[in-house]
Amino acid sequence: MRARHPDSEGFVESGGVSIGYELFGDGDVTLLLLPTWTIINTRFWKLQVPYLARHFRVITYDGPGNGRSDRTVDPQSYSLAAQASHAIDVMDETGTEEAVLVSLSMGSMWSLSVAAEHPDRVLGQVFIGPSLPITPPSPARAGIEGAFWVEHVDPQGWEKYNAHYWTTNYQDFSEFFFSQCFPEPHSTKQREDCVGWAMETHAEVLVAEATARGVDHNTVLDLCSRVTSPVLVIHGDDDRISPLSRGRRLAEATAGSLVTVQDGGHIPLARDPVVVNLLIKDFADRLAGRQKAPA
Amino acid sequence: MRAREPDTEGYVEQDGVPIYYEVHGSGEPTLMLVPASPITHSRMWKGLIPDLARRYRVVTIDGRGNGRSGRPTDPESHSRAANVADIISVLDATDTDRAALVAHCHANWWAMEVIAENPGRVSALVAVDPGIPYLGKSQPHWIETGPHWGEIIDDPIGWQLNNRHAITTQHRRWVEFFFGEQLVEPHSTKHYEDAVSWALESTGEILAAGDDGFEIDFPDRETVEAACRDVDVPTLVIHGDLDVCQHVERGKAFAEITGGEFVVIEGGGHLTLARDPVKVNRAITEFVDRIEGKPMRERTWPRGLNRRKRVLYVSSPIGLGHARRDIAIAKELKKLRPDLEIDWLAQDPVTRVLEAEGETIHPASEWLASESAHFASEASGHDLHCFQALRRMDEILVANFMIFQEVMEEGLYDLSLGDEAWDIDHFWHENPELKRGDHVWMTDFVGFLPMPSGGSHEEYLTADYNAEMIEHIARYPRIRDLALFVGSPDDIVPETFGPGLPKIRDWTEEHFQFTGYITGFEPPTDDELASWRSQLGYREDEKVCVVTVGGSGVGRDLLEKVIAAYPVAKQSMPELRMVVVAGPRIDPAGLPAHDGLEYHGYVHGLYRHLAVCDLAIVQGGLTTTMELAATRTPFLYFPLRNHFEQNYHVRHRLDRYGAGQYMDYAVTDPGAIAAEIIARAGAPVDYLPVESNGAAKAAKMIADLI
Repeated sequence: MRARHPDSEGFVESGGVSIGYELFGDGDVTLLLLPTWTIINTRFWKLQVPYLARHFRVITYDGPGNGRSDRTVDPQSYSLAAQASHAIDVMDETGTEEAVLVSLSMGSMWSLSVAAEHPDRVLGQVFIGPSLPITPPSPARAGIEGAFWVEHVDPQGWEKYNAHYWTTNYQDFSEFFFSQCFPEPHSTKQREDCVGWAMETHAEVLVAEATARGVDHNTVLDLCSRVTSPVLVIHGDDDRISPLSRGRRLAEATAGSLVTVQDGGHIPLARDPVVVNLLIKDFADRLAGRQKAPA
Repeated sequence: MRAREPDTEGYVEQDGVPIYYEVHGSGEPTLMLVPASPITHSRMWKGLIPDLARRYRVVTIDGRGNGRSGRPTDPESHSRAANVADIISVLDATDTDRAALVAHCHANWWAMEVIAENPGRVSALVAVDPGIPYLGKSQPHWIETGPHWGEIIDDPIGWQLNNRHAITTQHRRWVEFFFGEQLVEPHSTKHYEDAVSWALESTGEILAAGDDGFEIDFPDRETVEAACRDVDVPTLVIHGDLDVCQHVERGKAFAEITGGEFVVIEGGGHLTLARDPVKVNRAITEFVDRIEGKPMRERTWPRGLNRRKRVLYVSSPIGLGHARRDIAIAKELKKLRPDLEIDWLAQDPVTRVLEAEGETIHPASEWLASESAHFASEASGHDLHCFQALRRMDEILVANFMIFQEVMEEGLYDLSLGDEAWDIDHFWHENPELKRGDHVWMTDFVGFLPMPSGGSHEEYLTADYNAEMIEHIARYPRIRDLALFVGSPDDIVPETFGPGLPKIRDWTEEHFQFTGYITGFEPPTDDELASWRSQLGYREDEKVCVVTVGGSGVGRDLLEKVIAAYPVAKQSMPELRMVVVAGPRIDPAGLPAHDGLEYHGYVHGLYRHLAVCDLAIVQGGLTTTMELAATRTPFLYFPLRNHFEQNYHVRHRLDRYGAGQYMDYAVTDPGAIAAEIIARAGAPVDYLPVESNGAAKAAKMIADLI
């Protein structure tokens, strides 16, 4: 059973794709919890929504390819421009003028894009384990760069991050990937959850999404330089998907604050939900205080 | 001593009246604290300034008619407009373009006008017990007495004193009555004394003129309500629900009409900012940080299972006495828990000892207001009224508690260990929701005892402090996870906590664990003593008398008296040699010179001199006297006058050990001292042996918590 069901839900057509969204709570400030890599769906926010919705209006939605959204295999639906449009379309559809954007991993890219292009609609941004190509990847991942389309014989480790392997061994890849996401001991349930959500979509969707990527270092830093609202970055120092150096660089480039989760992995919102919830609440409260309108 | 001195101070002249201001700190934003003059002045903020000034820039003002500002007596000089102009002048004089105002009682009315007249100058308003006319409810005594303001009432009582003639002619009576009514919280003796004494720095004539000035240009209800609606800055209202001056409904209405936040202190009166300074500090800083959108500081959150075990050790800095026993306990603790990290929150002079031992001193230690400097400032001659000195240390205790709390929250300590850390114990009981980690309380005496010089009032005060402590522990037994008494049940004085209160020994045995005495050193063997004596150049055929008064300047009077005894004693005891350790603060140049008498400023390893001498002459501090008991040295001790701990607690303990000769400074002349020197130097002693395993015993009990 879900700890909290949405107060309302719906779909919005965004660039030809049906995007499913959910609304919780009715606080003065809206938090938009962005989707992340399409390998999982919006249920990954399950430990945040009940708490945050008691204090704020919370919107979640599924990006294309998972959850309640279309499983399109058209790469264009996954481009940076398209992902940013999905966020704006959901805000428009729900009558949300401005919001605090909260993102995990790959969602950071889309959050930055919305904040740079629509500064008047973004109160602030929280980035959790942001995955942005602004510092080098970990050595393990660097070793497979450029080999995504190459077929390996008996791939091991990060070699499984590969179009052919996904198509033939999707579940095994998922299990490997989420074992890397959660290096913290005693993370069985968190890994199971993520693998379960991965099984709600399929390899072709992931391949289509991967085809659409290709944002470079300078583009990201340009977006960062255009951010005018406050930023909080939460990053594990044992993040094996996107190293801590990226969160630090992002905080520097946006004049934001950085909270390091010592011995934390890539998805602290699942593994350390209490501290992440409190940090998001504290950050949003400060923004709300700043916005306080005269009576 | 103040917990914090201003960084700058000055006066602005406003229509011929000098207005005094202070600036503390240099952070962002600026907060201006506005008291409800002329009944009080800026010292009323003393529990808040040190904490706020560590974060922000704080400007204070003494309103006209009190503090260090001028004392105009005509009502026109106390109009709203005049007070508002003073506030603006101080903002100008301190180059403050923009400030958040924190105002008390009717000063909020002035603050509203500052906001209205100076758009953009005020960023926010913290209204403490706001006194805005018409809003919410008025207290009935104001409504009833108002019409009789100008009459002459025969023998007015109670609220009838709220009358021009009564206030002018019986100022003290009115002030004592008024603040007696306002301090509804139990155990408010110090807050009451402060409020009354600040009020009495002004006069009844001025206070009455202030009330008359209030009536000039008095607006109607519509004007006031419209002005409240026009407040276009964020507001925070803090109000005690038992406020007898401004009804809590008034604060609530002000919060509603300005769209502000409302914090009620349940059970609090009109002086919550003095009575609950920790809560008020935190409410203000939380509000200011939020409305300023202050970014969170960068920080690291270690996952729970991966944290190293950490202890914060807070060692009382009043005198050096506790440092050695605390270091001994810390060493034993590390033996039992080798993985333990111990940080020290400590002040000079304790930090010097810790540094020499290679202990880790928390960097926030440098922010602490000096408790030892406060005690030094309270001493005069051979006199230290220790209980009153502790009461007057109230603002230092709040300032240091706020630092401790921040260190505990950021450092994620598993346990705090407070050796007579009064601030932690008191304010965690007053604000129990702030407790972090386990807490060990440690002391070598229990119970404040009145000195005869304080009369029945001091009997009342000590009983009240003891009662508050007993109530604290009864209500929140969870604050002290372990309470250690450094000593044995027999060391506890055979007294009660006061009329109707328990016997100290019964209560202490019920609420404490006993460690036995902790000297922090192994007593020297006979071989060591012999070799030390020869190393130090003390011959067998001389009688060495070491006189020491510790590191403060307090001991000069005692030194002079003892030195005057030297020539007398020397006549009967030619082999007498007197070694006077004057300490760094006393210049021996002005003291008389005699053959066989020598002076030292500082002596390295003083305890070795004390261990091998034939007689020591000291003050009545516990640490030094018990060291002498442990080394079985004959000694005379002179407790500081009016020092209840030295005169009662320490003396009782020394009597139990049969150690030392008590001397009453007031009635002892040099001849009597000489007689004692002759009788006791080198004489055998039959002290009870002093325990040597206390530190290990304490460490074992503490380790069980970790």
